[in-house]
Amino acid sequence: MLEPVMFTGGVYKHDLVMELVEDLGGYILQKNVTQSEVILLLLVPKEDMAALKALISELRGELVRAPLAGTEVAVVTPTLAIHHLPHTACDIAEYLRRNGAKSNMIGLARGVGREIAQINEYESMLINEHDAAVFIFGNFAECIRKKENLYRNISVPVLVTGGPEIPKEELPYAFEYVPSVGRITHRAKKSTELGTLDRIIEATGRALDRTRTEISKDPLTTSPPRVMDAVREQVPEVEYSFSPLPIALNLNGVRVKLNHEKYKDAVKAVKFDEGVTLGEIATIKPSKMKDYILVRILAMSETGFVF
Amino acid sequence: MDPMEVFKVEMAGEEYGAKKYREIIMDILQDLGLIRSIGRLYVYMDVKKPVFAVYGLLRTGIPPLLVRDVADVAQAQGGFQIKVNDEEHMADLLKVLWAKYGRERVEQPSRDVVVVASDVSPSDLTVADLEAEFRQDLTDALLRVAPEGFRNRRNEMTENSFFFIAAEDTLKPELISELTEKIRSMENA
Repeated sequence: MLEPVMFTGGVYKHDLVMELVEDLGGYILQKNVTQSEVILLLLVPKEDMAALKALISELRGELVRAPLAGTEVAVVTPTLAIHHLPHTACDIAEYLRRNGAKSNMIGLARGVGREIAQINEYESMLINEHDAAVFIFGNFAECIRKKENLYRNISVPVLVTGGPEIPKEELPYAFEYVPSVGRITHRAKKSTELGTLDRIIEATGRALDRTRTEISKDPLTTSPPRVMDAVREQVPEVEYSFSPLPIALNLNGVRVKLNHEKYKDAVKAVKFDEGVTLGEIATIKPSKMKDYILVRILAMSETGFVF
Repeated sequence: MDPMEVFKVEMAGEEYGAKKYREIIMDILQDLGLIRSIGRLYVYMDVKKPVFAVYGLLRTGIPPLLVRDVADVAQAQGGFQIKVNDEEHMADLLKVLWAKYGRERVEQPSRDVVVVASDVSPSDLTVADLEAEFRQDLTDALLRVAPEGFRNRRNEMTENSFFFIAAEDTLKPELISELTEKIRSMENA
């Protein structure tokens, strides 16, 4: 069982942490170097956590649990105008990031208003590439109920945030509703506001857990971190991608940030020790995000084996 | 405490929204530094329609900023020397002087001194029309306050009041008169 954790510490000797994680059979999901500090998102076997903790305390680093690591969450606002940004949307996105998720902000083209709000097919498909979505709505209960049609066709769990208290039964298409967010014109800094952000994180965690449980009923042929490692090793061009996170992890696959047309065959040909190629155990298709490659690992029921 | 004499927000069936909009309006007016210039404010919204209206009474009478308010003007050889006290106004001052005398007759020998080659004193020229700036800021504030998506807007500004309406649907005369009536009743309540 791999445990998602986040290491924060100095650049000096942080490679020892990376080596240890690899030796333990864990994965390095993301590495961010900010001047003299380094942040690593890691997946580490639970039973070997003590060894990692010992090393990190020796290096005077910090290790915290990152429950959302290895997932991608969409933060959706009705538009990218001043009414929704920067405060609410950025606070939520940042909080998701601090808990290990990769958050993407999506502003709908015509999501505003009560009667006129709409979402198009491209936007829904883009949101569906994520593991969960957080929809940020405003202060009016009537509008929040009405705007249900924006997320009715989204297939990933949708968390709705807004101002007023609304009973969950009134929003049947939402996974959960988190109140007291709404339209805010200042940054979240009071303890009640931070508490609300924590509730969003908890709700996101529950949504992702539901997806994990669903996946475990018909497990994936291999785990997404393993695919990530193999692609990183066998398609070296990915290291030259300008994205801060060249391979983004999802619960059911990865997104490789390389041109689809040019690199799809290289990604398909990635070979595992067991003798199968990635093309045989996953579907490889163009992502809705830019021209990236979307890898979706097939379930055991389709391939007939798990490794 | 509200620095305004009267600040009423009415949103039928949306008590939470009304409370939050009070905060939002205060935040935005404070951000733009307009809070002291508004005497009374009435906000009405009907989410069912949906329509949003703001009526406000202004504390007006901000005189325009003249050259003599921001600088010391002294007669000098072949013209006038202007020594700016507050550098914030230097850019506006230069613009006004260039427009009035032409660039070749305006010289800036040092950071806070401008020399104008002219027989007429520039001390009565207007550097900035604060009233106009205030009105611009107020319009900006109203656009920020109005819920997004209310794209049909109408703003009536008079000497000492403003009446702003925003709605999703077309603004029909009946709707405008209905809102005027509504605001009137809030005022008299």
